[in-house]
Amino acid sequence: MFRNTYDSDNTVFSPQGRLHQVEYALEAVKQGSAAVGLRSKTHAILLALKRSTGELASYQQKMFRIDDHVGIAIAGLTSDARVLSNFMRQQAMSSRMIFNRPVPVNRLVSAIADKAQVNTQEYGRRPYGVGFLVIGQDQSGPHLYEFSPAGNSYEYYAMSIGARSQSAKTYLEKHYKTFDDCSLEDLVRHGLHALRETLQQDKELNINNTSIGILGPAAPHEKGVSGAGSFRILDGEKVEVFLQSMVPKEPTEAPAAPAATDDDVQMEG
Amino acid sequence: MDHFPTNWGRPRNDTWDPYATYPIHQRPQNHQPKDRFAEGVQHTQQPIVTGTSVLAIKFKDGVMMAADNLASYGSLARFRDIQRLHPVGKYTVLGAGGDMSDFQYIQSILDELIVDELAAADGHTLGPKEIHNYLAEVMYSRRSNMNPLWNSLLVGGYKDGKSFLAYVDLLGTTYTASTLATGYGAYIAQPLLRRAVEGRENELTADEARKILEDSMRVLFYRDARSLDQYQIATITADGVHITESRKLETAWSFAEGIRGYGAQTQ
Amino acid sequence: MTSIGTGYDLSASTYSPDGRIFQVEYANKAVENSGTAIGLKVKDGIVLAVEKLVHSKLLVPGANRRIQTIDRHIGLAAAGLPADGRTVANRARDEAANFRETYRSPPTLKALADRLGQFVQVYTLYSSVRPFGTSTILGAVDKDGPSLYVIEPSGVFYGYHGAAVGKGRQLAKTELEKLKLSELTAREAVIEAARIIYLVHEDAKEKEFELEMSWISPETDGLHLAVPQDLFDEAETKAKEELASGFE
Repeated sequence: MFRNTYDSDNTVFSPQGRLHQVEYALEAVKQGSAAVGLRSKTHAILLALKRSTGELASYQQKMFRIDDHVGIAIAGLTSDARVLSNFMRQQAMSSRMIFNRPVPVNRLVSAIADKAQVNTQEYGRRPYGVGFLVIGQDQSGPHLYEFSPAGNSYEYYAMSIGARSQSAKTYLEKHYKTFDDCSLEDLVRHGLHALRETLQQDKELNINNTSIGILGPAAPHEKGVSGAGSFRILDGEKVEVFLQSMVPKEPTEAPAAPAATDDDVQMEG
Repeated sequence: MDHFPTNWGRPRNDTWDPYATYPIHQRPQNHQPKDRFAEGVQHTQQPIVTGTSVLAIKFKDGVMMAADNLASYGSLARFRDIQRLHPVGKYTVLGAGGDMSDFQYIQSILDELIVDELAAADGHTLGPKEIHNYLAEVMYSRRSNMNPLWNSLLVGGYKDGKSFLAYVDLLGTTYTASTLATGYGAYIAQPLLRRAVEGRENELTADEARKILEDSMRVLFYRDARSLDQYQIATITADGVHITESRKLETAWSFAEGIRGYGAQTQ
Repeated sequence: MTSIGTGYDLSASTYSPDGRIFQVEYANKAVENSGTAIGLKVKDGIVLAVEKLVHSKLLVPGANRRIQTIDRHIGLAAAGLPADGRTVANRARDEAANFRETYRSPPTLKALADRLGQFVQVYTLYSSVRPFGTSTILGAVDKDGPSLYVIEPSGVFYGYHGAAVGKGRQLAKTELEKLKLSELTAREAVIEAARIIYLVHEDAKEKEFELEMSWISPETDGLHLAVPQDLFDEAETKAKEELASGFE
């Protein structure tokens, strides 16, 4: 019934020193729809593709606000994400309560990574089945982190997670060097272009299936954003103007690489 | 705790009932059965070894704080080499009046906090504002558990180009101003400090600030029977924290020779 | 590995017929797959260095550290599963804080290594947990001077003059043995550490890596800090030159 002898349980190392249950949990992340994150000198943004189970159903929630200066996008099990994001909110609030300071973003991400590590080492638990992209802003500017069920967290210039995220990653790797000096509009356009790569052949981004999370000063047409630009999630009509800004894909372009090449997620650092 | 209201306000262990107020079987007994919590849970009800005033003012380049080196045991000048100014990280100084063992405990929890912060090694550091907020939480939570840390504390610091000076005490009360004083100093020195500093926070030089504190410490030594003429000054500026060695106040007592009770008695 | 598949290697609480605990040995495999980490104990300090394999070019250089600070005067470099390394480091911080609370003095590294060894060992006893997939190098300058320890997944710990864990440990150990460690200064040791990391990386040249170094020296006032940028650059440049000249 199992693929091998060493994969039924998270307390067992394979002879190669691998943890198969943890690796399978990383697969659960890839079951979720894609999320993309990137940053410039002034902004950090998230973009996510929302799924809907049918005509009569609403679209899923892919982004959560943690605090004024932190937001996340998720891929994988939403229920696990809600548990972890609740925990993050508590951490953020306790930092404000105890020290009267916004929680440093890297510590917040490390805190959930440490929490996730426990689930990879003790019997009777399963690793979390969700990955996060976390954007945050502190004295050292905007940041983007990835959290994975293996209990790892890394800081990136740009990153994507979820189904067919390799295609988005390819786009990001090609363009990330230009992101630093991008305006918010340009950054979002890059993000949408990256997210577009994860779509199935006949689908496209629209105001229903696209979420944008922004941290940093408001775009010219954005209203009701505080001066420093606290985290906000744009859905529905509000993403329209950004979708309009996208450059249509060249029709001659070869079809996106098959999702099967999604093999870059690994445990070792 | 004595749960008999009729016993309240009387000498304890009274074996008789002078007013015959209640039936014999209810009269107070000297040997009531004692359960573990018969006395209630006892918390700190007074400080034991105490420090007196701490003074602090803002000046042009930051904050300056002064406290003497005495820890009294009641009216006895018990320990005369106690430092009551404690550096917390690179930007902050904590000055304490009140119970010195509680102050030592506070020093240890703050030191742990600073080590944790250092270990994170991510460029985020706790400044005076954060440390004051933390202390306020600790003090308020202790008093809410009816177990206060018996101190009045001044937190002074300088970070990111801004001076910070604030007060917190055993009740968790916080207060901020450009001149602060705790203990007897709140009555004697505070008016002097206000007159010398208020409105001039951005003009006073370090030398002037030092002079103001020194003069106030001198007045306190003349008038506060729990004070000492040896004291230290902490300066917190963009250059960091500097705390002086112990120094001695110049005082003149010749006027007192003629006062009965001070000098040699002639009759 | 003849016992693979015999069922004696599925739990840390099971001995094989010849008295081995395979789960612990497999945990060591996790360590062996990771980038090399080394530690040098020298005359006046400690130097830690790691070969941090970079799995994506989107990673922000300098973030994502593998060397951590445990206490003012203690550093830790982990090889193996990064998440396990962080868990051990967190425990180390707790133990150090606890030591300070109990004894009102900074912990010696020996005392800390002892406590951590016990902590790690517990995870080799039960089927309900797995051993840590990490070997950690601990370095400190305490009241007894510089000291260096390695804690292995089995919980065993030894003191070293020079230590190496991870993929390139054999070559690194050979290089460390050539040095007169007790005569080097920390500054000189930084240069050597960079050279060794660059040298051992040669075997896995196709992968990108980032050098990460920390030290405790007379220049850091007894604190465990990242190696200052100018010294780091000097060491890295020399390491690259040496490597290039070695292949003339």
